[in-house]
Amino acid sequence: MRRWSLLLFVLLTACGQGPQADLQYIKQARSISAEWALVNEQANRGRLTITYVQSMRGWLHDGLETASGSLSQPHSRYGAEIRALLAEPPDAAPAELRRYAEALKQIEAEFESA
Amino acid sequence: MNPLELTLGIMTAVGGFVDISELVFAAKAGSTFGFALVWVFAFSTVGIIVFSEMSGRVAAVAKQPVFSLMRHRLGLKLGLITLIASIISNLITCAAEIGGVALILNYLTGGPYLPMVIAVTVALIASIWVLPFKWVERAYGLLGLFMVVFAVALVANHPQWHQLAGGFVPQVPDGLSTKELLTFGYFAVAIVSAVMFPYEVYFYSSGGIEEGWSPKDILTNRLTSILGMGLGSLLAISILANSAVVFGPANVNPEIPGSAALEAAIPFGKWGLILALLGMFFAVAGAAVETCLANAYSIAQFFGWKWGRHKKPWEAPRFTVTWILLFVAALGIVLTGVDVMTLVEFAVLFSILVLPLTYLPLLLLSGDRAFMGRYINGAITKTLGWFYFCVVTVAAMVALPLYFLTSGGNG
Repeated sequence: MRRWSLLLFVLLTACGQGPQADLQYIKQARSISAEWALVNEQANRGRLTITYVQSMRGWLHDGLETASGSLSQPHSRYGAEIRALLAEPPDAAPAELRRYAEALKQIEAEFESA
Repeated sequence: MNPLELTLGIMTAVGGFVDISELVFAAKAGSTFGFALVWVFAFSTVGIIVFSEMSGRVAAVAKQPVFSLMRHRLGLKLGLITLIASIISNLITCAAEIGGVALILNYLTGGPYLPMVIAVTVALIASIWVLPFKWVERAYGLLGLFMVVFAVALVANHPQWHQLAGGFVPQVPDGLSTKELLTFGYFAVAIVSAVMFPYEVYFYSSGGIEEGWSPKDILTNRLTSILGMGLGSLLAISILANSAVVFGPANVNPEIPGSAALEAAIPFGKWGLILALLGMFFAVAGAAVETCLANAYSIAQFFGWKWGRHKKPWEAPRFTVTWILLFVAALGIVLTGVDVMTLVEFAVLFSILVLPLTYLPLLLLSGDRAFMGRYINGAITKTLGWFYFCVVTVAAMVALPLYFLTSGGNG
């Protein structure tokens, strides 16, 4: 049984397009928004150096731009979420960033169960 | 025995275990699968201890480096294939390490990335040129020990210790989907590759010759292998376990090396962050030195040139020009603008393909009585050596399919 499901998975991966192909970028964007929230939360508590915070925000933003630019369906619901996330200011509230992470996680779960 | 004699093993291990690929893979493995991949680190650690001890023993007894013996044992053709494969693997790895050091410097100083890459390369070349070999290993090995902050952070992050202990038992987590199972397999293979990077053995055995090891140093070699690699493994497992505690519940899959520093910053604040970044800086810089020198050692030994940092640079001119050119080539790769994380993935993938080619000749040489006399492999070393050779061969065969099926572990 497992062998057949593996074969099916291999074939689906090879033919993957659209939302399924975008899944890795959705995951990437979800992780980045959650990490951004963690960085901002620790920065607000004064536990990180300013240089590190600015640098991390820059790299995370770059990663988000790459994920957004790699989407095969940029005008989808998840594309809109990622664009909205990109528009957030560097010192966005951690709770707001976590809201994006949750929304993307939900979309991820929908695709994975489909 | 002078404790400072252990620095070769410490530098090899700290640079080998907690280099740029480990900072990324260990952290991602912990956040994705909790403690379930700890056993892969422990398992691979035994493998690298076996092979590094073997390579050190060959260096001490035969007084010849691995690549010189390899050429005689395998013949010119197969030896040349091994040489070319390892040069490519080490060069990509060196480029990834240089990019990694520049990234870490960027987190520390805020300086722009590309100028940092150039500055780092110049500084690394200068450090090898100026410092005697003993001080190269001591500087990078001992300063890399700032990484111990990750082990201390693990205690402060209060993991579920019984769950962490359970991670040492070989396992595949229950209830994984086919896709998750493949991702788990990809991480397992990547960790084996990253722990058993071929450059570690080339550097370690050549380092033994640089230090003038002889059969009386067999015990030093054994202790250095076990303690050095054991320490490196402890640090890598700490990064993984911290990630399972800090990043897993927060839905973060760390993608960049700077993320790992948060593991120490969360319990200890700014000082934890700075110590973690300094440790990462010296460990990854040490790995850049190791990969570059390992490549230069391999080339010089294969062609029978004079080599070694125990000589003045002008006493081994072709060796000196080679390691400088290799740094420049690695710099060129990074300056093309290729993403450091992509380089890391390529380095890990290519290394796993080279591993069987690296370890087979070593296994044959260390088991050859004509070279080793009474210091030939014992029954346990021989059994473990062949077992791990089979493991890395299987890993080499499945690495590429797993990489493509899981989009490089991104699911």
